[in-house]
Amino acid sequence: MNKLFYPKLAANNIRKNAKTYVPYIITSIITVAVFYIMRSLSQNEGIKEMKGAGDVQYVMNLGCIVVAIFALIFLFYTNSFLMKRRKREFGLFNILGMEKRHISCVIGFETLYIVLLSLVGGMIFGVALDKLMYLIIAKIVGEDAPFGFYISPDSMIITALLFAVTYFLIYLNSLRQIHLSKPIELLKSLNTGEREPKAKWFIAILGLVCLGVGYYMSITTQDPISALLKFFFAVILVIIGTYLLFTAGSITLLKLLKKNKRYYYKTKHFLSISSMLYRMKQNAVGLANICVLSTMVLVMLSSTTSLMVGFEDSMNTRYPHEIDVQIQHEENTEAMAESKDELYDSINELISNDDSLKLTNEIRYSYYSLAFLQSGNEFLTADDDVYNLVPTVDLSDITCFIFFTAEQYNEFSGNKAELSDGEVLIYSCNDDFNLDSFSLLDNEYRVKELVPDFVGDDFETVANIYKTEFVVMNENDYNKLYEDQKSMDTHSLMQTYFGYDFEGSDEAKREIYHEIISLISNGSTSDEVGFTAYAESKIEGRESMYPMIAGFFFLGAFLGILFTIATILIIYYKQISEGYEDKERYEIMQKVGVSRREIKSSISSQILTVFFLPLITAGLHTAVAFPIIRRLLMIFSLTNVPLMITVTALCFVAFAILYVIIYSITARSYYRIVSK
Amino acid sequence: MAILEVKNLKKIYTTRFGGNQVQALADVSFSVEPGEYVAIMGESGSGKTTLLNILAALDKPTVGEVVLDGKKLTAIKEKEISAFRRENLGFVFQDFNLLDNFSLQDNILLPLVLSGCTYAEMNSALQPLAAKLGIVDILSKFPYEVSGGQKQRAAVARALITEPKLVLADEPTGALDSRAADGLLNLFAQINREGQTILMVTHSVKAASHAGRVLFIKDGRVFHQIYRGTCSNDELFRKISDTLTIISTGGGSDE
Repeated sequence: MNKLFYPKLAANNIRKNAKTYVPYIITSIITVAVFYIMRSLSQNEGIKEMKGAGDVQYVMNLGCIVVAIFALIFLFYTNSFLMKRRKREFGLFNILGMEKRHISCVIGFETLYIVLLSLVGGMIFGVALDKLMYLIIAKIVGEDAPFGFYISPDSMIITALLFAVTYFLIYLNSLRQIHLSKPIELLKSLNTGEREPKAKWFIAILGLVCLGVGYYMSITTQDPISALLKFFFAVILVIIGTYLLFTAGSITLLKLLKKNKRYYYKTKHFLSISSMLYRMKQNAVGLANICVLSTMVLVMLSSTTSLMVGFEDSMNTRYPHEIDVQIQHEENTEAMAESKDELYDSINELISNDDSLKLTNEIRYSYYSLAFLQSGNEFLTADDDVYNLVPTVDLSDITCFIFFTAEQYNEFSGNKAELSDGEVLIYSCNDDFNLDSFSLLDNEYRVKELVPDFVGDDFETVANIYKTEFVVMNENDYNKLYEDQKSMDTHSLMQTYFGYDFEGSDEAKREIYHEIISLISNGSTSDEVGFTAYAESKIEGRESMYPMIAGFFFLGAFLGILFTIATILIIYYKQISEGYEDKERYEIMQKVGVSRREIKSSISSQILTVFFLPLITAGLHTAVAFPIIRRLLMIFSLTNVPLMITVTALCFVAFAILYVIIYSITARSYYRIVSK
Repeated sequence: MAILEVKNLKKIYTTRFGGNQVQALADVSFSVEPGEYVAIMGESGSGKTTLLNILAALDKPTVGEVVLDGKKLTAIKEKEISAFRRENLGFVFQDFNLLDNFSLQDNILLPLVLSGCTYAEMNSALQPLAAKLGIVDILSKFPYEVSGGQKQRAAVARALITEPKLVLADEPTGALDSRAADGLLNLFAQINREGQTILMVTHSVKAASHAGRVLFIKDGRVFHQIYRGTCSNDELFRKISDTLTIISTGGGSDE
């Protein structure tokens, strides 16, 4: 036989199966490109020199791993799909006298072509887009990118290796399938009807339970710190639950419907229920895949976009003032108060001497804060052996008290509150404080009044994490409680806060910040004054945070696109393969007197269910995930809930529109196959 | 009055690119009386399938008309044609055409479900029919779980459940082994004795020899016909064989 026979045959095979192979190769190319870009960006010298580059490159590295895992699973999945369609062809080759090793040879060449096409195409795309991404990142971070294309040979080698190995594994899997089957089976493989699956109550209920627990975790988790871990568990539970419910639950439901003879033997339900049931086993996994991928896309896009869009907002929450100075000390003495005043004066002098800045707002207050575990109208501390008294401690039971003197309160509010011993004013920030009296560390307090507002937004970050009560008391009580709490293991320090807002250039703000830092010898405790002081600047904070947030946004958009393409492809393959399988059945139906109209309505009701079930479920998952994601984003000081809701809703709408477009395209090609 | 009248049917196919015209049926006329069992024989390419498709209202003739029980098939609107087919005709195919995703019972009930019957009506129609065809025990099975003969019985049940005016059978024994084929032919003879009109297209001399009348089609025309009269199956078998020999040895059409 001619040496070129196998390579030619392989090329021919791919050309003949273009309808299924072209989307496969395109996906493969995109996957290669995305992986290359991620990898190359994570190594990019230019980015390394940018500010906050470590975060961006770390995030990109994470992305690389995700894409690698995704590539392996997804390419395997689609290939098994292609092989299933082509078994008949191989059976025919086998019967016409090709041995299995010859077939293996042909498949080998096919795989080789696909690898080469994907790698070459992917690299070209990758190098071109890599530059674009680099420019975008540079633009976001606010630096210039050099001209010329940057090619990372190292990333190319890694990419080539990864995909070569992946395809080699896929090839081995194809060989296994060919070698295990007999020619007659290969020929018939398309026609063997799948057995009607059995209803699996246990698994269906297990799926419901998994989903329920996952949902419950998401809805009830209050604090962001435990949310991270819980989120991870909830995601796993929901994924498992989705697969179980789609596979077992759908079959069980359809079986139930079928048992109901009145319902089942209706023209509308008869055709669709039985044909859905018939193929549900393989259908279900595909549907669950679509659902899980769609949910991932939605969650990723909505959370990263929220972070990006809400960045300014979260910076304002995190840094209520342009520059703040925070002072901590333990001893509450006159000398301490004097040295704080001195510091305050010298900072003010520094600011007023700077001609390029105009002070627009300043704030100064002192406070201390204590966290308690609420139990009735008693508040327990860690010293009270809380774990014995209250067996399950949830962070949501913890109440944070922030104490102020009446003098300060009057200064802020302009009120003239007079408090006698034991009387307090309460401002409840996010919790409806409903006690008339309460005790802290054996001190009894009576609530004189609930006041409506307090030091502005300064405490919003704290208030969003814990239940927070602001307590105003007279000087006497204030000092007594402070002394009382010193004996606790978890005692608080006296905190003093100076906040400044300016008008002026960013440069000037930066300059004054550095001057203040050197003045207070940032973070170090000097024996002389006995306190620790440190300063924060909104501008510098923003600069260090922005690259990371932008990196997240990038990754979210990137993976979102990749997963969306995967979803589209799964849907497309599903429709095409089912079209071929259904063609014959619809022909038979027409012969025995089912009108075209009835067939069409049966098809649309099936496609509608099959298509929109995953979308609706994905929407539900995203909606339920929202509370926990909201908590997670608090870590990034993003607390603007309306903004997050809007972004999430917009993401869903955009995705749904794309989904409907895919639906109409694939539905049309399905009709065309079926009615040919 | 005849239950089926076929008048001067002519069918010309035009090939795809508008080039050649192929005449499948030249001029076919015959009629079928209620309760008759008619077999139509002919070689491949003689126009049998085209004729059957036109009778089944799956295709339209170029010229001529088909009247079923006083109703012109060509005059029925496209929208009503499926319902008409379902209610008046029963079909038995060579390759059964049972749907894999339905149990035998559901396959049989399909036409009734489409007509909007209640489950009670369906069941009362199904039970005696299944008993008669000997498939009561396998009703809940799926097509891929039963033998060819059983599948064909289920297909016959599906054809009969609507009590059609005419059963059209296209090579019903074509995919069966000889025992199953004998069984099916006996079944056809039995339901014919009970008054069912049957029109069967076949290659098989054996199958045709069970019919009451045999029509021979050649080159798109009815070439000859044989009535059973008082003949036994074997005698009819011989007559058919002789006729086929004459046709194939170039007896030619009488043009």
